[in-house]
Amino acid sequence: MLNAVKQSWLTFRSIFTGMGVTIRHFFGPSVTLQYPEEKMELPAGARARLYVNIDDCIGCNLCARACPVNCIDIETVLATQDVDLGKTSTGNPKRFWLTRFDIDMAKCMYCDLCVYPCPTNCIYMVPEYEYSEFDRSNLVYHFSNLEPEMVAEVKEKAEQEAEQKKREREEMMRKKAEEKAKKELEEKKKADEETPKNEKENRGE
Amino acid sequence: MIEVISKETGNKEMVINMGPQHPSTHGVLRLELVLDGEIITKVRPNIGYLHRCFEKYAEQMDDYAKVIPYTDRMDYVSAINQEHGYVIALERMLELEVPERVEYIRVIMAELQRIASHLLGIGAFGLDLGAFSPFLYLFTEREKILDIFERVTGARLLYNYFAVAGLMRDVHPKFKADTAEFVRTFRPKIKELNDLLSYNKIFIQRTANIGVLPEKVAFNYAASGPVLRGSGVKWDLRKNDPYSIYDRFEFDIPVGTGEVGTLGDCWDRYIVRVKEMEQSLRIIEQALDGMPDEGDVMEAIPKRIRPKEGEIYVRTETPRGELGYYIVSDKSASPFRVKARAPSFVHLSVLPAISKGSLIADMVAIVGSIDIVLGEVDR
Repeated sequence: MLNAVKQSWLTFRSIFTGMGVTIRHFFGPSVTLQYPEEKMELPAGARARLYVNIDDCIGCNLCARACPVNCIDIETVLATQDVDLGKTSTGNPKRFWLTRFDIDMAKCMYCDLCVYPCPTNCIYMVPEYEYSEFDRSNLVYHFSNLEPEMVAEVKEKAEQEAEQKKREREEMMRKKAEEKAKKELEEKKKADEETPKNEKENRGE
Repeated sequence: MIEVISKETGNKEMVINMGPQHPSTHGVLRLELVLDGEIITKVRPNIGYLHRCFEKYAEQMDDYAKVIPYTDRMDYVSAINQEHGYVIALERMLELEVPERVEYIRVIMAELQRIASHLLGIGAFGLDLGAFSPFLYLFTEREKILDIFERVTGARLLYNYFAVAGLMRDVHPKFKADTAEFVRTFRPKIKELNDLLSYNKIFIQRTANIGVLPEKVAFNYAASGPVLRGSGVKWDLRKNDPYSIYDRFEFDIPVGTGEVGTLGDCWDRYIVRVKEMEQSLRIIEQALDGMPDEGDVMEAIPKRIRPKEGEIYVRTETPRGELGYYIVSDKSASPFRVKARAPSFVHLSVLPAISKGSLIADMVAIVGSIDIVLGEVDR
């Protein structure tokens, strides 16, 4: 009997201690934010969306190689000799046309691993998080600023130059081969001229 | 599988499924319960709903550093602790020296993460048993920790913050002040939690003498962390097998004492977590005092990670228990094999042993008290 009373008293006391805590919280400050109207400010280094400053990109492909989920897709074309793409703001010379620089944010795991290897610091995370889409393909961000016609032109030019270089190289190789053949022929002739003599000598004539 | 069980059980017993979408199974866990009336006679956990091939992925990543974000995703509630074990394993393989400042920041972050993880574990445990307010109040505190993390690492849940022999970025100048402020404001909240939940008679009635895990059974099932300590065993890898710089700090290992019921019951496992948060606060305070202000956290990071041929097993104390990484290197760019010994997986196997004979309503309390994260069970 005494025990039952004691237990009941303990139960009541523990419940009312808890109630006291909730009542203190009831009059405390509110901690919730009414999201679409109120927004939490993200800190400067927040990782929410990848951004590429394409003017500074030199097309080195290091970020794509560092990505664990292969969400970065880069296609580069070597610039022809008649164009100068200039330099990045960090002073690195640009040698490639960036015909494609796509980042699939649906695949991205926000790990930040692509940011560190970049030699010109042109790929980084920006604190922008409201970019949901109804269609998954809209989450692929195209950062290349070249027009499709421009891409075709650049590719054609690069191909032409590559072909020309190849032709030049082939010509050079052919010339070299010809010269080599000539030399060999002359040497052979010389040797041929010399051998009969020796042979005659050897025979003791 | 269900048919097999029902054949075993005869007519009197009934098989029901709990989960995988049950709110109190902490993720996607399916439990097959064999019931005799309301008494559980057999439990069979079914896992694999969250399997993401972590171990196989790690083998074809062609870079050791690329595996770190995947370790985050094993136990997403305590991501920092998961990274910690992996980077320590690689540092030991490469025989690298870790700068002092890096070690201190790592310990502070790991202990903050431990508190955050316990807050979630305790809160969800209370929520399972019908206590809704503690869950909300604890989440307010957890939010403060996540804010600290966000300002330091830029992410709120999956940080990818630790690098081999370094950190991905330096802490901001106000980090020390922020953390000290959190420690100061969090102390009184633990007392509040004890008033509200720990010593609440209803909560004690639901958890005391339920799911008793005796010391011997805990050893036999290789339990670790709060589950083992709840059974009264003083075993903490931070003390018993110190890694990082944990040997420099003073802290106690809280163990279950059977204060309100039997030793090793749900309440003991719960209170160990509460007391552990206090110890974590002590470690954070000491680490904040000892942390050097100067030093580059990124200077020691190696450009290329190519460990020598060999293997290593490194175990660390995560909020859930002993997390071991077994890494085999064959001198190539990617690990030959990565095996993670996940504490949640081990603890899930204890479940059938401790829930036999309990009521079906207590099953929820038992699952909550072992605090599993299904991401880590399935990997």
